[in-house]
This record gives sequence, C-alpha cells and structure tokens, in this order.
Amino acid sequence: MSYSDKVIDHYSNPRNVGTLDKKDPNVGTGLVGAPECGDVMRLQLKINPETQIIEEAKFKTFGCGSAIASSSLATEWIKGRTVSDALAIKNTDIVRELALPPVKIHCSVLAEDAIKAAITDWKQRHTEAVLAPAETAKA
Amino acid sequence: MPDALSPTVHADHFAVFGLSRRLHLDLAALEKEFYRQSRKLHPDRFARAAATEQQAALQRTSQLNDAYRTLAEPIPRIAYLLELEGVRRRDERVDADGGRANQVPTELLEEVFELNMALDEARSGGLDDPGTRRQLAEAQEDFQSKLGTVDTALLERAAAWDRARDAGESGGEILQQISGLLDRRNYLQNLLRDVAAVLSPTP
Ligand code: FES
Repeated sequence: MSYSDKVIDHYSNPRNVGTLDKKDPNVGTGLVGAPECGDVMRLQLKINPETQIIEEAKFKTFGCGSAIASSSLATEWIKGRTVSDALAIKNTDIVRELALPPVKIHCSVLAEDAIKAAITDWKQRHTEAVLAPAETAKA
Repeated sequence: MPDALSPTVHADHFAVFGLSRRLHLDLAALEKEFYRQSRKLHPDRFARAAATEQQAALQRTSQLNDAYRTLAEPIPRIAYLLELEGVRRRDERVDADGGRANQVPTELLEEVFELNMALDEARSGGLDDPGTRRQLAEAQEDFQSKLGTVDTALLERAAAWDRARDAGESGGEILQQISGLLDRRNYLQNLLRDVAAVLSPTP
C-alpha cells in the first residue's frame, strides 16, 4: 500500500506536535485508541471560553502514518476555529483530503474521535472550574 | 471416485472438520483429521485424474490448510469465531452505530500512552539513563503479566461461550466481552513488541 503525497507530507513534517498543560482549565485533552491496531492518539486544545475559539492545538500520536497525518491535519484545520466548527469535522473529510484507502479509514476516525473527546473534556473541566469555587465556599 | 473431488464449499472452518462452532477443540483429534484429509487430497492420488478433479483437490487442500491454521491456535480461532458471529470484521470492530467502538478503558489508554512516551524518550538516547532502562524493564514485566491475565480471562470466557451454546443460548454478550479482551490484548502485544525493540535492538 502506498501513502498519498499529502500523508507523506504530514507524516514527515507533522504540524503541532506537542503537549499543553493538562491542568489548565482552558485545556481539553482527548485520548483515544484504535483497538484493532493498538494505536493511541492524544489531542489537546486550548479554548478561549469567551470566544469559544480554539487558540492552540497539539497532538501526539503513537501509530501508523495515516493516524499521524490525520491528527496533524486535524490540528491545522481546527486551530483558530470555533468549537462548533471543530465538532462539524467528519472523519470522511479527512479521508478525502488525505486520500486514505479503505483499510486506513479507522485512522481518520481516531482523529475525529480525538477532537470530540478533547472538547468534551474541556467542557467538563471548564464547568468544574466555574463551579468549584462555589462548592469550596459551601464546604 | 472418492467424493472428495467435488470442490465443496464448507459453511465455515469448523464444518471442514465436521465440527460445530465451539471454542474448545480437541487438538489431537483436529490434527488427526487434518492429516487424514490431507492424505486423501494429496496431489499424487490425482496424478492421473482429469484436470478439473486435480483443480478441485487443490482447492479443497487450500481450504483445509486455511481451516487448520485458523483453528489450531486459540487466538486466531477466537478472532475467527467473532468474525463468523458478526461481532467484528477482519480488522475492525462492528458496532451498532456503523462500525466504530472505542470501548478501550481509559486507564489502559493512559498506560499505553505513558509507556509510549517513555519508549520515545528511550529511543532518543535516554536508554543510557539507568532509570529509564529500569522503568522500561518494569513496564515490560507488568505488561507481560497483564497479557497473561487477559489470556486467562479469554480462555475462561471462551469456555463460558461454549456452555451458553450448549445450553441453546446465543452467548452474544459473552462474545462482546471476548471482543473487548482481544482489543486489550492487541494493545499489550504492540507495547511488548515496542518495548522489546527498544530494550534489545536487533542490529
Ligand atoms: S493503522 Fe491504526 S491508526 Fe492507523
């Protein structure tokens, strides 16, 4: 199986690899895995709660070239966009952009799931951060 | 002529050996039957047969080999059964909502991720650090023992499925559990392979 040029480009020169501070209440972390191949992907987003804009996106993927390319592309797409824009991204968009073959579709699913997981985590943590002071006050 | 000549398409690998779908097999009997059929289909016996019959014998042989290879080992046998029962396709899990199932427990994902980070560090030269090396060796042991636990659980669930089937139940829930265990096993195996590669690189 041969990788498309776009996959190779993202794979050999991945954008936005790295880590954000997990404890920052504005950071959401999504950790997802593809059990069928045993790969894992972590995506972290720093989101401005006022504007709902994704200011920072970093990923770290231990997996195949397509998974790395999918996550790299995903960070490029969502940086500077709003949360709802990011949630609208479908794995099929990634498949099309990277020309992934059918056996590599699950790699793109991983990226879509990671975006959703990171945003869910951010929402949760953010609500907690807002509620926490009130609860401490109660206690 | 022997009836072996028709290129019979068996319903599944179990049927090739005249077995019903069960996860526990008598391996000695399986092997014996494999050899018996192999002899029956041996090309020498068809040296003077018509081309179509030779062809049929070849086809049956390859079917027999496939079936034996799949059934003789417990993990491929289990994976094959899940495919047959529609629980997963060859490389992915089938889920009600169209084929995705990320039911890997978070704590396993975290472990897998952490270890991968450590492996990364070790790969980029950190292995000279005795602390890293020790950490990796410990992780290796830990994952090895986890793999053992998974395998024990798999065999236990496999037996439970057989019992459910014998009792005329579908055993669908058990197959889901088995599928989850197989996923876990995939992760552990990948990790073990990667740790081994870092700890003792083959030149
Ligand atoms: S092969 Fe598993 S993520 Fe690509």
